[in-house]
Amino acid sequence: MSELEQISTAILQGEEEKAPKLVNRALRRKVSAKDILENGLLVGMGEVGVRFRAGDMFVPEVLMSAEAMRASMELLRPELISEGVKLVGKILMGTVKGDLHDIGKSLVNMMCEGAGFEVIDLGFNAAPEKFVEAIKEHQPQIVGMSAMLTTTMRAMGYTIKAIDEAGLRDRLKIMVGGAPVDAEFAKRIGADGYGSNAPAGAELAKQFAGAA
Amino acid sequence: MQVRKTNYQVNATPTFQVLTEDEIEAIYYAALRVLAETGVRVYEKEGVELAQSGGAIVEDTTEDSSLVKIPSWMVDKARATLPERVTVVGPPYKDGKRKHMMELFKNQIYYGTGSDTPFTIDPYTGERRRAVYQDVKNMAKLAEALPNIDFFMSLGITQDTAVGTYDRWQYLAMLEGTNKPINITAVDIEGLKDQLEMAYIRLGGKEEWKKAPAFSLYIEPVSPLSHSEEVVQKLLYCAENDIPMVYTPCPLAGATAPTTLAGTAVQALTESLFGIVLSQLRKPGAQVIIGGLMSNMDMKTAVYCYGSPEMALLSAAYTDITKWLRVPEYETAGCSDTKCFDEQALLEASINIATAGLIGGNMIHDVGYIEQGLTSCPELLVASDEIIDRTKRILRGIPVTDETLALDVMDEVGPGGHYLAHDHTFDRFKTEIWRPTISDRQVWENWELGGSKTYQERVHERMIGILEAETEPLLDEAMYQELRRICELADDRHKDEELDVQMFV
Repeated sequence: MSELEQISTAILQGEEEKAPKLVNRALRRKVSAKDILENGLLVGMGEVGVRFRAGDMFVPEVLMSAEAMRASMELLRPELISEGVKLVGKILMGTVKGDLHDIGKSLVNMMCEGAGFEVIDLGFNAAPEKFVEAIKEHQPQIVGMSAMLTTTMRAMGYTIKAIDEAGLRDRLKIMVGGAPVDAEFAKRIGADGYGSNAPAGAELAKQFAGAA
Repeated sequence: MQVRKTNYQVNATPTFQVLTEDEIEAIYYAALRVLAETGVRVYEKEGVELAQSGGAIVEDTTEDSSLVKIPSWMVDKARATLPERVTVVGPPYKDGKRKHMMELFKNQIYYGTGSDTPFTIDPYTGERRRAVYQDVKNMAKLAEALPNIDFFMSLGITQDTAVGTYDRWQYLAMLEGTNKPINITAVDIEGLKDQLEMAYIRLGGKEEWKKAPAFSLYIEPVSPLSHSEEVVQKLLYCAENDIPMVYTPCPLAGATAPTTLAGTAVQALTESLFGIVLSQLRKPGAQVIIGGLMSNMDMKTAVYCYGSPEMALLSAAYTDITKWLRVPEYETAGCSDTKCFDEQALLEASINIATAGLIGGNMIHDVGYIEQGLTSCPELLVASDEIIDRTKRILRGIPVTDETLALDVMDEVGPGGHYLAHDHTFDRFKTEIWRPTISDRQVWENWELGGSKTYQERVHERMIGILEAETEPLLDEAMYQELRRICELADDRHKDEELDVQMFV
């Protein structure tokens, strides 16, 4: 098995300790970071996606792979930047104010990390001001919001409004999700897109980043 | 009378048990350990202070929350004042009588619907769409007519009303449709206060409420082990105002709770016990019903399963625990993960309805839920009424007495005769043998003559029949206007929140 094949296999098998080690070794052997990303890591995650959609892989297994991907990317990101490779981008994610539901948003985070994104997680119960501050600080290309309750759905609207009023709306793509949310509602509150589940959220992020 | 029989045991009803007493104790003491050692996170300052003044240890306070650890003796103390029996009685009919009583204690079963689905299946077109006021009224009308539906929850959100005040309109829609006990939801404390005011009006005063509350409030702490600001405020308000509260987390095995079902039960119990402790600290005797919706995550789709065998099993196990604890319980059944009224809806609902009945769950909710609780299905509600009826026949068991053993009758008829014309049959067949109302038992020719209708078609006809039946309004015009005024005043107070209005539809 070639070096890059070993990396993609480690990602597929969700080996979060082994994958970064293999990436490190490849870097020491002067394999380019771009090559490692495109022909190692993303090949592995691509296969994860195929198997997940086919029902041959399950959520906990996908998350292990995403975790291996995240750990590898942490190592690789500075190298990619110094090689001048365009990164897929940065996502700011959070569950909106008043809502303590964490898991749906965390699933999307992990899927996005699996797709190569850098994800800044605001956690849950995140107020509009917190989103605004974090956008200023981290300069993400995409902002994702989650709400699990019909009563907290509107906090997504308030948050978008706050982002708009801070003059930050134009430089961002905003995606929303959560059990009571649908595409029509997303449109009504001025979001750019809606993902019905975690893989759909990650796909949407890729579209926004022009990486799909 | 000569005594010949000794050591004779009777099963008045069939019995079903998931956990032994030793297993229940193991789960209960494990929950006490989690409360004392891991603790729960509380996002409401007054709740934290109340727990602390009652003896809890408060640690790791951040800007929005604290970690609260509850020593076991606090649970013992709370349990000493916690009511074992909670009743909710629906509002009066024209004759002034409040006819529908839900009396919740060990082994008493009541079936009811589920609440607040964003979507519903249109009764006429079969289309899945956002639910509106008229849907809730229709569902309530169905529940009013179906004899085996004992309480109602809003099978749909009234999304043609403002999102910040929809709860009042939803309550009004329910009151228009049914006089059965209701388990309401509330947007916030203000919404709860308004609905309580509406209930006082509907009952004819606060004193009537004191005699018997007409609704309970659904309160859902967030798993794992988190109690939000809104949840704690609702709990405290309920305790102060004699509103029975359904304090029910919805842990998801494998995702928001351990993947092992025993671990999920421990965590759910921990979450509810915190509610019990806090409620009794605020007001000893506060009425709490604990539950009740525990299931697994489907690891292919990451959805919450409502129709899985684990859901039925866990809910039944939790019923065993609450029976041992002597706390009224919130159970789950009559629900499915399907997307329309199909075979899956019926098979999943049948199994969980039967399981919940056999175990003796108290307040068995979510009848009519499909699509993981996102959609309400009127046909499933109607079909479930018959499934519950069928289940209740099984629950009536087989009384074994000299009269039911029927030896004299057998001797009279003798070999080769028949029982059809016998008085013993004539007197008892109607009570002994269950008769379906929708299920078909006709011979082929007659079934064909009747239009060769499938079960789904017959359920649909029954549903339309109920919806289109002329019934006298439950609210007279003056009462309706008075209740409606509370809703309108609420809308008025919130009219400047332009984002709230027209947020849904």
